[in-house]
Amino acid sequence: MATKQINSNISYTPTKKKGFYKFSESGIASYVMLAPFVLLFIVWAVYPVLSSLRLSFMRYNAICDETLSPCGSVGFGNYTYLILQDSRFHKALLNTSLYVIGAVTLGLIASLSLSLALQADTRANRVLRVIFFLPSVTSGIAVVLVWGWVFRGDDVGLLNSLLSWFGIAPVEWLATPSLAIPILIFMSIWGGAGFGMVLFLAGLNAIPAMYYEAAVIDGANRRDRFRYITLPLLKPVMVYVVITGTIGAFQIFEGVYLLFPTSVGSIGGLKDMALMIVPYLYDMGFNRFRLGYASAVAWILFAIIFTISLINIRVTKSLEDLR
Amino acid sequence: MNAKRTEKRLERKNDELMERSGNFENPFETKGRFSKYARVPIYLLTVVMIAPYYWMITSSFKSVKELQKVPPTIFPEKWIPGNYWDPNYDPNMYQQDIMQGLFQRFTKVEFGFGRFFLNSFFITTTITILTLLIGSLAAYVVAKHRFKAKRAIYLVIIGSMMIPWQVGLIPGFLLVDDLGWLNTFWAYIIPALPKAFIVFFLVQYLSSIPDELIEAARIDGAREWTIYFRIVLPLLKPAMIAMMIFTAIGEWNNFLWPLIITQSQDMANLPVALALLKNSGAGNIGTQGVIMAAALLVSLPTIILYFLTQRHFIRGIALSGIK
Repeated sequence: MATKQINSNISYTPTKKKGFYKFSESGIASYVMLAPFVLLFIVWAVYPVLSSLRLSFMRYNAICDETLSPCGSVGFGNYTYLILQDSRFHKALLNTSLYVIGAVTLGLIASLSLSLALQADTRANRVLRVIFFLPSVTSGIAVVLVWGWVFRGDDVGLLNSLLSWFGIAPVEWLATPSLAIPILIFMSIWGGAGFGMVLFLAGLNAIPAMYYEAAVIDGANRRDRFRYITLPLLKPVMVYVVITGTIGAFQIFEGVYLLFPTSVGSIGGLKDMALMIVPYLYDMGFNRFRLGYASAVAWILFAIIFTISLINIRVTKSLEDLR
Repeated sequence: MNAKRTEKRLERKNDELMERSGNFENPFETKGRFSKYARVPIYLLTVVMIAPYYWMITSSFKSVKELQKVPPTIFPEKWIPGNYWDPNYDPNMYQQDIMQGLFQRFTKVEFGFGRFFLNSFFITTTITILTLLIGSLAAYVVAKHRFKAKRAIYLVIIGSMMIPWQVGLIPGFLLVDDLGWLNTFWAYIIPALPKAFIVFFLVQYLSSIPDELIEAARIDGAREWTIYFRIVLPLLKPAMIAMMIFTAIGEWNNFLWPLIITQSQDMANLPVALALLKNSGAGNIGTQGVIMAAALLVSLPTIILYFLTQRHFIRGIALSGIK
């Protein structure tokens, strides 16, 4: 442990200072160049975040009225109600967790397998890579509309037509609570595996061939080479894919909004089977205009994503230290 | 001239990194009796990837009668343009089996469905140009000038990337409302301009460009703006192109924010218009052809952009992911 500490201290070199003249020397131009971004950033990125933090401690509905609907501070009221009592929010949390776990792990496996299968630089592979990547540039709404037809519950639904060839009766895909999350996970993998694949391909191509040559000379077989060379060297890409994938998965909205509507102006499908965090935020904020409450939902989303990213980085670090 | 050469060099280096391949082990390449079947799963998956696109295209050319068939026809019996524009359609008469074509809908909106194309096109191009301009200016100052608050400003910008954008959703909406911007292009464009990721990406890219280049220009007496336009921008070209494509595709497909800020149909962008169309169809199988036609038209521009800029695109992803 101690030696490790020292070693890491020795290898640490302070980063070279970038930039070479003082701000004042470059005159007013620097301010002018920086100003548009910084001003817009303060107004449209910093202020909304701070304001949302303030709102999350308030009862703040669209109309503030002293008698009918008073606005004002409620302390941690929104948070305690969300965490302790709001069963719809609990359902949303549970659904989102299941969805994220499924979408991220299966997505990771899918994109890694794809990159390995399509790595050789042949013409066929180049075409296939393009095909697998297409969903990443296609409008999410357009894709969801096609899936809506595929998973229709009646006999004109495409999946049901397919099943009817085998004599299976139509399934109400989008009205069966146990199927909602798996369908959304499937859609996420269909839409996202190509993106991960491209990242993994870049990672694979950056592995020097000599590592493999050396391993062959040392008598390592194919599986060993994959286990001890490819996988460890792909780890940075894997961490990136997992972190960005997790963040993206937590923010799922379009699929739920279009495929799982509930009667009038509510989201989540039958018995809230597909209710997730962001759709719930939308429901609270823009269907019910409980803006303070919705802000608290947003901050819980942030807390979850932040914690998971930190854990992810920590776990990877500690695994690295073990070796 | 020097700048040009450095740019070329960087570009070549990136290309080499991306396109070098075939230098590693692939556990998927099996040898032996079953090797010729090893790629069957990949081809099956390819069918799953293409199927939604195939369905979008073919069913947008099917007649209402054909759409209602059980089981659905895999290949259109007769290709008809009715889902886009039906010459036989008469708004004053109820006609069985004749659909109101896509461009015959949204009659209360100027230019009908074409209006949403104009909206999306205007919004996307404006945001892309402006966001890259202010982003690159800020990145240049942050990367190549030295001043006191620089570190703090950059830290805040990077830090903001960890916060899911939905956190600022509600205050952003309230701010837009207070400014009277709801249902205007301002609400689309202005809040979308400060993009932290663009600054982060360009700063990373600029830091790999030697300071001496800019220093030399300064010694020669070049002004800051000249340095930016003549040296920095040309050097940034590959990174800017990648960011341009990402931003354009992201804005074209943007849904949640436009959904919140549009109140009348004529201000909808394409994804919001798609959702409107879907909700107006009320699950009638006959309208699916029109919906697929719309989905196809919405998806095509980004897919074409992707095909045209594939090389930059993939390089951009790899650059942003591997760093």
